Amino acid sequence: MTIKDEILAKVSTFPTLPMMVGKLLDVLDEKDADFRIIAEVIKYDPALTANILKAANSSYVGLSKQVSSLTEASIRLGTRWIFKIALSSLINSALRRPAPGYDLSAEELWKHSIATALMSEILCDLLNIKDKGMIFTSALLHDMGKIILGDFISDSFDNILKLAENEQIPFEEAERRVVGIDHAELGGLIADKWEFPKNIVDSITYHHNPDKAPSPTPAIDIVHISDALSLMGGWGIGREGLHYHPSEGSIKRLSITNSILETATSQLLDAIDEIETQFKEENNPKVLVRG
Amino acid sequence: MSNVTIGISEIYVTNKPNEELITYSLGSCIGVTIYDPVAKIGGMIHYMLPLSKVSPEKAKTKPGMFADTGIPTMLKSLFGMGAIKDRLIVKAAGGAQLMDQNNVFNIGERNFLIFRKLMWKNNILIKAADVGGSISRTLRLEMNTGRVTIKTGQKVKEL
Repeated sequence: MTIKDEILAKVSTFPTLPMMVGKLLDVLDEKDADFRIIAEVIKYDPALTANILKAANSSYVGLSKQVSSLTEASIRLGTRWIFKIALSSLINSALRRPAPGYDLSAEELWKHSIATALMSEILCDLLNIKDKGMIFTSALLHDMGKIILGDFISDSFDNILKLAENEQIPFEEAERRVVGIDHAELGGLIADKWEFPKNIVDSITYHHNPDKAPSPTPAIDIVHISDALSLMGGWGIGREGLHYHPSEGSIKRLSITNSILETATSQLLDAIDEIETQFKEENNPKVLVRG
Repeated sequence: MSNVTIGISEIYVTNKPNEELITYSLGSCIGVTIYDPVAKIGGMIHYMLPLSKVSPEKAKTKPGMFADTGIPTMLKSLFGMGAIKDRLIVKAAGGAQLMDQNNVFNIGERNFLIFRKLMWKNNILIKAADVGGSISRTLRLEMNTGRVTIKTGQKVKEL
């Protein structure tokens, strides 16, 4: 058994996502997802419902009326916002795991995933790109291959990094050369095993190499750029640092300029603060600024 | 010794000798330490972007997000506490880059460029800088001694 075979064997034992994620994704693909349908999906999860109500109540400090139903919460917070919280909490509970080889704690990897997902949303808004929910999901999951690979590359990490530095090749290419597979392809295999839609699988598989996708899509390009920007900002930057290559193709296809990247970056911090508040144990009442 | 973590877009100034200021995970962002060894007043900023013109509203609530609003704010606070300009020891770290060939992603480089301009305009020397490359850095300033260190991976060096 080669190391690659051992790694691939882990794909089949990787935890499955809660059923609800699939259901949320189905709802999401419908135009103007009706909140009632989303509520139908999440109301069976008491912890999640409680979190959403808590968020709704903490966002309007001073108002005497307390929100007590998901529908009321949706009026206060907005459907998309609730979708974001719901999806992030579900994936959080399933995938908050460390990637030891990369020197990433569960916390850091999770922060990187959230930062990338929120950045994808910011970029979609700035560039007028649709399918925000699907792209958000892809961005949230794009690095889950690191959870598996992190267990295998602890010993070879220095060799991989040296190879990347000496030959000036991107880190994921060095991963492929040393262990036979990279974290992006591995993440795609997991999403495929979960029977996720092809556009999500592709956005994960090609997030470092959008130009190698059979057919490049805005989703792949957005996940690629969002990943780069969240690493640059330092969210979940591992031992490999910024040893990745931005795609010329993505930049051209999306007409990305320096000013777009800087504007998007300036919006990321507040977006992250807003979501992070929801994942803190003690949710101190404070006024949330909604996007 | 008590540790003070400086988050992204934060500015912190102090005159407490028992404090150690730390900022983690500098990618393309830049961490700057400014220290007056006589008054033992110093501070740290962790800024993300060079110029506030991309978002003047954010600059009002978080001046530390941008070099052009954060550095003047930091200097003003230091002077307000009693630091003297001619004594300031300024050091910087970060400004890393992706393996970029087209320069659209050159936020790290621009971050340092603007910083140098700002220092030059204010007639302040940059004593040392460890910037660029594709590595992540953690920056520390010991308030008691003014010692500045940078950590990348397991390696620590003095700046």
